[in-house]
Amino acid sequence: MKTKTFRYGIHPEERKELSKDKPVVPIEAGEFVRIPLSQHIGAPAEAVVKAGDKVKAGSLVGKAGAIVSANVFSSVSGEVAAIESGETVSGGKCLHVVIKNDFEYSEERLEPLGSPTRENIIGRAREAGIVGMGGAAFPFDVKLSVKNPIQTLLINGSECEPYITADYRLMMDNAEGIVRGVELVAKALNAADTVIGVESNKRDAYEALKKAAGGGIRVELLKTKYPQGGEKQLIYALTRKKVPAGKLPGDIGCIVTNCQTAYALHEAVDFGKPLYERVVTVSGLAVARPGNYFVKTGMTFEELADAAGIRSQYVKAVQGGPMMGISMHSLKPSVTKSSGALLLLTEEEIRGIEPTPCINCARCASVCPMSLMPMKTDALILKDKVVEAKAYHPELCIECGCCAFVCPAKRPLVQSQRLAKKLIKNSGAR
Amino acid sequence: MPEVKEKLIVTSSPHVGSALTTKKIMLHVIIALCFPLIAGVVLYGFYALFVVLLAVASSVGSEWFYNLIRKKPDTTGDLSAIVTGMILGLNLPPTVPFYVPLIGGIVAIMLVKMLFGGLGKNFANPAATARVFLLLAWGTQMMTFIAPIDYSSGVAAARLFAGFVDETAYVTSATPLAVIKGAAATGSADVNLLDMFLGNIGGTIGETCKIALIASLIYLLIFKIIDWKIPVGYFLSVAFFSLVFYKDGWNFILPNLMSGGVMFAGIFMLTDYTTSPDTRLGTWIFAVGAGLMTLLIRRYGGMNEGASFAVLLMNLLVPLIDKGFKSRPFGYKKPPKKPKGEAV
Repeated sequence: MKTKTFRYGIHPEERKELSKDKPVVPIEAGEFVRIPLSQHIGAPAEAVVKAGDKVKAGSLVGKAGAIVSANVFSSVSGEVAAIESGETVSGGKCLHVVIKNDFEYSEERLEPLGSPTRENIIGRAREAGIVGMGGAAFPFDVKLSVKNPIQTLLINGSECEPYITADYRLMMDNAEGIVRGVELVAKALNAADTVIGVESNKRDAYEALKKAAGGGIRVELLKTKYPQGGEKQLIYALTRKKVPAGKLPGDIGCIVTNCQTAYALHEAVDFGKPLYERVVTVSGLAVARPGNYFVKTGMTFEELADAAGIRSQYVKAVQGGPMMGISMHSLKPSVTKSSGALLLLTEEEIRGIEPTPCINCARCASVCPMSLMPMKTDALILKDKVVEAKAYHPELCIECGCCAFVCPAKRPLVQSQRLAKKLIKNSGAR
Repeated sequence: MPEVKEKLIVTSSPHVGSALTTKKIMLHVIIALCFPLIAGVVLYGFYALFVVLLAVASSVGSEWFYNLIRKKPDTTGDLSAIVTGMILGLNLPPTVPFYVPLIGGIVAIMLVKMLFGGLGKNFANPAATARVFLLLAWGTQMMTFIAPIDYSSGVAAARLFAGFVDETAYVTSATPLAVIKGAAATGSADVNLLDMFLGNIGGTIGETCKIALIASLIYLLIFKIIDWKIPVGYFLSVAFFSLVFYKDGWNFILPNLMSGGVMFAGIFMLTDYTTSPDTRLGTWIFAVGAGLMTLLIRRYGGMNEGASFAVLLMNLLVPLIDKGFKSRPFGYKKPPKKPKGEAV
């Protein structure tokens, strides 16, 4: 069968076989969960509880602090022990609601929606604190409130990052739920056409979704290639439309969302369940029992590592995929709504970190899915040539990491693109 | 909670990468260069090996010495100097005096590579530049070519070791390039294509045996070390301009492709990363332009061979090509976001 795809990109070693066939098992929360009030892009949520308050699993603990923000919920039942500053995944600090677990797991639910309409679906997405679960954690209600009419809703089931299999497990185990969620998203957007894209290395998930989808929703097979799930790449692969530089998918009538996000919407609408737990892949060669775990937000990555077991010395702990994930200083930060994976990587898995001089092989440019020239930006921006670097359009970089992946000189090309973006912005050159 | 015992590495993404490193690339090129080297030693005797080794020693020594006097960290570990030395050595006639590869190595590394900032910064191919320098400096020695060893009458040790001891054992030979040049207007070149393919002709150490060069090409393409567009574009361009420039041009396609340094340059010299363009379109223009230059020099220039000069000339055009043919980013249109974006 012919698969759809975008141009260029790379084929990193998949390593999905480590956790692919492991069924989702829950990990029990410990005595305390530490729920970050900033789990999303935008303003942090504002705490609506104080120390001593009783909460249930699903109780609101943080209220969206602005338009672009999201509600935050308790993931266990018990008593609020403190509201204190704690370390986040990206190495910063934010307020955490610390909850002492009473291990009873009594639940608080929203009222399920009997007759979902555009307005109340969007309202529910906001109430239930749903954010994009593919990694970006953009508040979902804001995405759904797009002004432009939407022709095509694209559901990202490509899971193109190596190692991660959380979406795959969900597609295999809960295809009906995802399809129901997708229908709700389509309803909220009033989208004429809905298509789910699944990479060809997950053919069984593709079959499962196809079976569940019936006729109304198209399911397409995508070529297994990274970054197939990049927003602009996915749109191009499935619709042949190019998102113009500096524009959003909504501007050309497309919206992309992750299949787990659609599933979360289904749970919020049909069962009234807010978003406070998710499937997380714990993998990497240092992990003794790599697999897919059902985890409550606010548990620390350390608890995940303990549950999955450590087999050998790891040198890097990554939240998210190995291509775009964030490497953490320690395992102390809490799992958030958008934590798709915890990877504990050994010395031989990670990329070399000592850069050598660029040899101008142009491999980075030949794989860049945005057709940029990372080596030029790298060379120029490290000499502070901001205006010259701007000519190579680093602002269009999607930070997928293909360039740095293939670089034989192991130059930190994504980092220099980020630096260029920042310096260009600061200099006001654009 | 227990403290993390070992410090974790924190870097920007991505956290995984390909296993290919600069050193491994150089190693692949060295392996590929060994095919023509072996062929050269079989064809011309052990003095040819000595010439190449001298060029390598001189190149590596120059880089080491340069870093020493500039008090910079030693960079010879990336093996690129070995590659330069081998390419230079294989581009020399098998009979050159020992000082020619020595000085060639110094010119290539000191003047062309290190003075401009070392690996990745040179403006032209170090080996090609050094070869052109040597051509101008020692014209006679650089243009003396010998016939390969004739194994049919038994292996004479004196012949195998010619050059070290006994200069008279050489049989000098005209290269097919002179024949091609002479026949350009008549329309048929009297050359033996099979001999040219096997390397049974006079020429530089590495360029004559086409079987070895094709093996190198296949090796480098399999390991994706070189960009296929360069050899393909260059060879097609040489074939095309043979048709255009010569009377009864089809008689000259294969002779031109298989003589002189065309194959060697297309595989090892034009493909040098630093001195080839960065974009797809630019690469095609570069390769085709090099073919045009080679044939212009061969047909209308004063010399029989044009490959080295073509490499050098095109190297100098690379910055211009790169400037002129930047790749257009995905979704980017020339006048950026001036008019208000209408939904399509």
